[in-house]
Amino acid sequence: MIRVYVDLSKCQHYGQCVFEAPNIFKLNDEDKLEYAATADDSELLNVREAIDVCPMQAIKLVD
Amino acid sequence: MIVGASMGGLRAAESLRRSGFDGQINLIGAEPHLPYNRPPLSKDLLAKDKTLADIAFPIHHGELQANFVLGNRVETLNLEESHVELSSGAKYQFDYLVAATGLRSRQMSFPNNLGRGRYSLRTYDDARSLRDSLAPGKRVVILGAGFIGLELAATLRTLGCLIDVVAVEAIPLAAILGNEFGDEVRRRHVNEGVRFHLERSIVDLIGTREVEGVLLSDGTELPCEILIEAVGSLPNIEWLSGNEIELSNGVLTDQTLRVMSESGTSYQHVFAIGDIARFPYSTRSLPARRIEHWNIPIESAKWVGRQISHHEKPGSVLEFKQGERFNPLPSFWSDQFSVSILSYGEPTLADECLLIEGELGNEFIMGYRRAGELVGVAGIGMRREVNKLRGEIRL
Repeated sequence: MIRVYVDLSKCQHYGQCVFEAPNIFKLNDEDKLEYAATADDSELLNVREAIDVCPMQAIKLVD
Repeated sequence: MIVGASMGGLRAAESLRRSGFDGQINLIGAEPHLPYNRPPLSKDLLAKDKTLADIAFPIHHGELQANFVLGNRVETLNLEESHVELSSGAKYQFDYLVAATGLRSRQMSFPNNLGRGRYSLRTYDDARSLRDSLAPGKRVVILGAGFIGLELAATLRTLGCLIDVVAVEAIPLAAILGNEFGDEVRRRHVNEGVRFHLERSIVDLIGTREVEGVLLSDGTELPCEILIEAVGSLPNIEWLSGNEIELSNGVLTDQTLRVMSESGTSYQHVFAIGDIARFPYSTRSLPARRIEHWNIPIESAKWVGRQISHHEKPGSVLEFKQGERFNPLPSFWSDQFSVSILSYGEPTLADECLLIEGELGNEFIMGYRRAGELVGVAGIGMRREVNKLRGEIRL
């Protein structure tokens, strides 16, 4: 199990993470980011990619 | 050997390790800082009480096993002998070289070429120095109405500064996103109190010991305490000269991002990534181009890490496709006041630009077509719709 954290005070809702890890991140009807705080280990590589492409560097993996 | 320890250099090192490279990695950085994220420099870092720690990239040193040599410029490359020489005089041999030295701000020169009161913005140290000079009510002239100029105008206006933007173009961003889009951005800046002096240049500075104002090409004098030059940037490629590398407007590469010689052959062990790489289109017969968008260092670094790992141990890199061409989708965004722009593709390739959704004056999306094919989209707001169109772009 991996744990994901997004600093929503940094997040500007560009949705770049959605392309990398669509099972974890999505933009809701108001164009705001929503995400799953926990995910299966198989999502690790996708989340890492999402972390890299976040313009605001708002995503973290929590140990 | 990775020359350049900013985002591109860091991502290249990470990609090397993730694709199985187990050799030594040296990262040489001219700045004294570990890699950090530059976009906040024109925004949060000026507006809020932020420090380097707030924008530094997380680095997993245990996994990365890279040797950072910071505050050191690579002065020369000797390709024949496979070494680089640093400003400290140290020499490093390499088997592979990744050029990731990025850009520096273009500097103007004036007859009265004062130094004090002039700023540009590229590095953390630039941002700190500018921030220390800011205060509500300060008169700021920004030369240049590109993304950095406009973002600075918005951030500094929000801080209570008085902003005059001087630019040679008639409409800001028009060359990138078209007249209608650019005019819409300008209008929103004007609504916030930013003053534009378009189709003007600065011909001289006014002042004796420090900048007290600028003289425009139409004779207008604008008093100011702060002049910020945001007139584009130049690739840091001088250190590559003397090696027969093709260095016109950046570093020319082939489809795999291997650096090319003046005679048109690729160097198998030398790569260029990020803003300095001038790489060919994979499907269009157009001249190779550099792309100065934030996602290009990331995409090119990941690509090159895998190329090197494959070259070192053919067959060892997962999902490596021989003969594949580097073909990233450029993406960029910009926040100015409440205007947030998101764009994909290469709108500059378009021969036609049309409103796809929404309305000018509110939220909208412009589509950019070349010979009928969508080559770019850009929107103010309407994030999900812009993101949906991303998949329809053909470059």
